[in-house]
Amino acid sequence: MSIAEAEASQLAVEQPSGLWSDAWRRVRRNPAAWVGAGLLLFFVICAVFAPVIAPYGPQESVGSLAAVPPGPSAEYPFGLDEQGRDVLSRIIYGARLSLLVGVVSVAIGLSLGMVLGAISGYFGGRVDGVIMRFMDLMLSIPGFLLAIGLVTLLGRGLFQIMFAIGITTVPIFARLLRGSILAQREADYVLAARSVGTPGLRLLTVHILPNSIAPVIVQATLAMATAIIDVAGLSFLGLGPNDPGLPEWGKFLAENASRLQNSAHLVFFPGFAVVFSVLAFNLLGDALREAIDPKLRA
Amino acid sequence: MLRYVAKRLLLLVPVLIGLSILVFAYVRALPGGPAIALLGERATQESVEAINRELGLDQPIFVQYLRYAGNLIQGDFGSSVLSRRPVVEELLERFPATVELGFAAILFAVLAGIPLGFVAAKRYQGVLDNTSLVASLIGISFPVFFLALIMKYIFAVRLGWLPSIGRLDITRSLEHPTNFYLLDAIIAGDGAAFVDVVAHLLMPAIALGTIPLAIIARITRAATLDVLSEDYVRTARAKGLTTAVIDRRHILKNSLLPVVTVIGLQTGLLLTGAILTETVFAWPGVGTWMLNAINNRDYAVLQGGIVFFAFLVVVVNLLVDISYAFLNPRIRYQ
Repeated sequence: MSIAEAEASQLAVEQPSGLWSDAWRRVRRNPAAWVGAGLLLFFVICAVFAPVIAPYGPQESVGSLAAVPPGPSAEYPFGLDEQGRDVLSRIIYGARLSLLVGVVSVAIGLSLGMVLGAISGYFGGRVDGVIMRFMDLMLSIPGFLLAIGLVTLLGRGLFQIMFAIGITTVPIFARLLRGSILAQREADYVLAARSVGTPGLRLLTVHILPNSIAPVIVQATLAMATAIIDVAGLSFLGLGPNDPGLPEWGKFLAENASRLQNSAHLVFFPGFAVVFSVLAFNLLGDALREAIDPKLRA
Repeated sequence: MLRYVAKRLLLLVPVLIGLSILVFAYVRALPGGPAIALLGERATQESVEAINRELGLDQPIFVQYLRYAGNLIQGDFGSSVLSRRPVVEELLERFPATVELGFAAILFAVLAGIPLGFVAAKRYQGVLDNTSLVASLIGISFPVFFLALIMKYIFAVRLGWLPSIGRLDITRSLEHPTNFYLLDAIIAGDGAAFVDVVAHLLMPAIALGTIPLAIIARITRAATLDVLSEDYVRTARAKGLTTAVIDRRHILKNSLLPVVTVIGLQTGLLLTGAILTETVFAWPGVGTWMLNAINNRDYAVLQGGIVFFAFLVVVVNLLVDISYAFLNPRIRYQ
């Protein structure tokens, strides 16, 4: 065996490192990603196992009605609310709603936005022009204002709220994917696939999309953070889910904002639940962006 | 340059037309309608039809739109159902309050954010850099109304240092020729009133400015890092310029380009953030005005408010693009 052959066999053993394995390696090395993932896991566990973890039910009265409900104590670490319900239990159950809102609204926005962005980027021309002008139009209305408008129009059901928040993210995803596809469309590997007769739809789904999706994933993670903040904001304005029993954090906080002076725990605990869940998505999204964005690579 | 501005202004026309159609369709689709809002849910069919005839709502939809668009061009946004006053009149009263708040917030964000981002980049991966990165991530994770409530609790309820609601102490009398209270106080030559206005402005502005501050600091840092590795910075260093001159003339000037864009992009965020901040501090601005309109089904106000907000965002973005072309001549020739 010649030296060249020996070197060649050694080289072949090394896996070529692709975008995803590269990104994964960088994410693993980032402490921020670990903190974010840990926080998120904590909230997911709270959401899934709420009936097991929470000492009481979300609607269960364990104390009496009180104008100034008792604050944190050994028995009730987060205190009670004005109806004598355990605040800790309500916050644990609330994790279900916030995560649900984050995931569902982003799923709605992502799927609509990706379809529009893919059509726009792949076909180009007049279709692209019409779709993008409409997206520009939507972007000219501030996202949260658009959500307020849509909730006023559609009503205050939980699904309507998630839909409204999802819609506000559509133009962001559409533009992002379009730009990403445009950058890929003229790449050599796409030309190669086209020249061997790969049909259009297959070209888009198998070759172009997987290579254009990275920035969209980053944006989706960050959009979940925004979705959780937005639903809390809607609740704060009195436009949250109209079911009075739902232990939604923003609603809980909003209903007690006027009790700030005497019962600050009713505002601070749900508020910090929002902050930490949003922080989890922001940390993860940020770490993903750093891992995937070629410009940030050393 | 002039051609560029003209082109951008022309592109504004289809956006504004599309926007007016969108908002028109939206308000028509809202449940209820002005007749119900005026007469209540139990109005008779005849009286509803009479009101609709009076307001021209029995006309074909495109005739209604044309009339609405015609009024809009003349600056007529209709009248509030609730107060019976022209929407424009109320807007002019409310708008200065929101602008004063927004300007103060962005001023705070820029004055703190740019130096912070710049120093962080200069000490790349140092303690200050890492701390400010973490702090900015935490900063953008706070819902603006929650931050506002925390500040209110600490500085108004507990410490009693700052007033918790409104723009001016109710016992104080001040003429309002401009409705910009800071200006009003200066015009009146009333020093004590000026201090009072600033005290009222402080907490809402900091609460509203915190997220833009975090974003501006991050963008400044990223842009400065980009510029730091440019050849012309090395050249400047090689020819023996002092660090202060390089920082100011070569680095900061070039790294501020993307920051200008980002400041413009904050307008939408500031306006929506203002709705929440104004609610917490009972600030009589556009935000609380529109929220009242939603709760009272005052559709003329809602319609006018949305068109106005969107118009503002479009115009500010246009100004940012133009200033960008002005700052960076490369854009103009593309």
